Amino acid sequence: MKAQVLVSNLINNIVSWKIRSSTELVEKTLNTLERIIKESETLNALALNIIYTINEVVKVRPTAAMLINCSRDILLELRNVVSDKSKLSEAKEVLLNRIEKLKHRMISNIERIATIGANRIIPGDVIMTSAYSKTIMEIFKKALKQGKKFEVFVTESRPGDDGKIVASELSKLGLRVTLIVDSAMRYFMKYTSRVFLGAEAVAANGAVISKVGSSLMALIAHEARVRVFVAASTLKFNYETVFGELVEIPQAPEETILPREAKEKIGKNVKTEIPVLDVIPPEYVDAIITECGVIAPQAIPLLMRDLLKTWPPKAADINEIMNSILEVLKSG
Amino acid sequence: MKYPKEVHQIANDIRSMKIRGAGRIARAAAKALKIAAEKYEGPADVESFITYIDNIAKILLETRPTAVSLPNAVMYITSRLRRKRPVNVSEAILIVRKTADDFINYSLTATERIGLIGSRRILRGETILTHCNSTAALSVIIHAHRQGKNIKVYATETRPKFQGHITAKTLLAEGIDVTLIPDAAVRYVMKKIDKVIVGADTVAANGAVVNKIGTSNIALAAHEARVRVFVAAETYKFSPATVIGELVEIEERDPREIVDEKFLKENPNVIVRNPAFDVTPPEYIDAIITEEGLIPPQAAYLILIEKFGWVIQDYIISKYSLREEDEDWYQKL
Repeated sequence: MKAQVLVSNLINNIVSWKIRSSTELVEKTLNTLERIIKESETLNALALNIIYTINEVVKVRPTAAMLINCSRDILLELRNVVSDKSKLSEAKEVLLNRIEKLKHRMISNIERIATIGANRIIPGDVIMTSAYSKTIMEIFKKALKQGKKFEVFVTESRPGDDGKIVASELSKLGLRVTLIVDSAMRYFMKYTSRVFLGAEAVAANGAVISKVGSSLMALIAHEARVRVFVAASTLKFNYETVFGELVEIPQAPEETILPREAKEKIGKNVKTEIPVLDVIPPEYVDAIITECGVIAPQAIPLLMRDLLKTWPPKAADINEIMNSILEVLKSG
Repeated sequence: MKYPKEVHQIANDIRSMKIRGAGRIARAAAKALKIAAEKYEGPADVESFITYIDNIAKILLETRPTAVSLPNAVMYITSRLRRKRPVNVSEAILIVRKTADDFINYSLTATERIGLIGSRRILRGETILTHCNSTAALSVIIHAHRQGKNIKVYATETRPKFQGHITAKTLLAEGIDVTLIPDAAVRYVMKKIDKVIVGADTVAANGAVVNKIGTSNIALAAHEARVRVFVAAETYKFSPATVIGELVEIEERDPREIVDEKFLKENPNVIVRNPAFDVTPPEYIDAIITEEGLIPPQAAYLILIEKFGWVIQDYIISKYSLREEDEDWYQKL
């Protein structure tokens, strides 16, 4: 299958919210890259296809830090093989290896986060969560395996109604789970002992970018003195910028909340604004659970320094790497 | 005793929600009492007439146990009837007719006055956030728009029943710029909002506002962002029963408003809870816009005493089985 077709399928699944978790988003992107690498017939085509894929996916989800971090690793490897003018088979092997390592790292990160996160669940807890997070699901599974008794409130999480899927999956694990509308967060916060949220990215100041509604839930928890835990692999750290409002939050398509028939009834001039994500300020997050341990959001810079061995964190910009690869291709 | 068929008709229509909306329910109940008084065929003594009216009041009150406008309309009339101590039945009938008309008038003009008063608070070019579908809140927004204030409105879609769609439609028809957002996005958009205007289902004695689920999320997010929150509420939304410590009951509705039958069948172990209202504490509300003027929520008691003083006394008397003649009733509590 041609790279364009594979990529456009992937993009469709992201935009239409079929891919709900940001971990899943990276997994699917890596799978697509694997196929594209295997099917490429020249080194040039291989390089161009990888750049094309990464460029397209990042365009629709510029906020996905894990996507950018994994892409950086792959692009750096690609730059090496392109400048060395490696044989196609060697280049393929090196790149596939790199992807394999990334996948392995993602899996082991989730496993460790689940173990650490499950320790923070106390028997009798009533946990509130929103949206579909693969990492949070693993934490719950782990805590259940440890024989802890707890229950979960999950919000519907529009747009995308992820909460219905979360409720369904959790109930099948044997967990007592209650589905509520997003508007009922504050109503039920009184009966909640802890909030667990997934993340799309963690900024240098400890701010967390997550599914829209997460920042509202964190605020409401803060008001009620309920602790908020965010589960995020260090692969989700955003090194390039202090995130905040600098990056434009992607918008979901109108039909996700307003089907055509409904719009016709209201009037064609009605507008919609459907952010997919929002930003939780660090003061509403009690701790971030990473594979390196539980850490205060304000201490994120420390962890960043340890991971990159430099401060301020200097991670190569993926656009610059892509451009430099294209330069090499042109000159060669 | 026989009751006029019009009364049963109105009671049925309120029960089946054919008559809906706090104002319409209240006016329908007042009208039912008025018709009942006009068609009274019982014995010609005041005692029997009052019993007859009390029984009809009971029928009406049972139609919608949680709507506060209904007991307010009914007790507005029954309390006045009792307190004015009519000497004969024809005077009693007159009292019911007149107080019913008074109530209907007061209710009809209230929403309009709220619109006028509230619109003065909106400045040119402001962006307003509203939730659900409140006639009083929309009255404020529409008045401001008609004054040429060039406002922009964000409306939440309001799950589970999407009342935000009705709001959007109403405002669009007025030519107002409307943007629908998911309920989860209220904190995200709050930075762009100048004022929040919502309605109320019930206002409690301490100024807490019971309104469509999600209102308290918005009020908290507004408070955090230092955005002012206004509640538009006719005085018949104020709850006399809360003065004596009664709690406002929060109705939990059918889960099928949130998920479909198929989901419930496939996921028998998922609990779905659907509270219709939540409570916004007075500290997150900057003002309540009533037809009597703008008040801080903490002054709700003032409105209740002024408007429903007799009603409150009647609540107390009936609750503690006191006699009306007990002037020092409050000492006996």
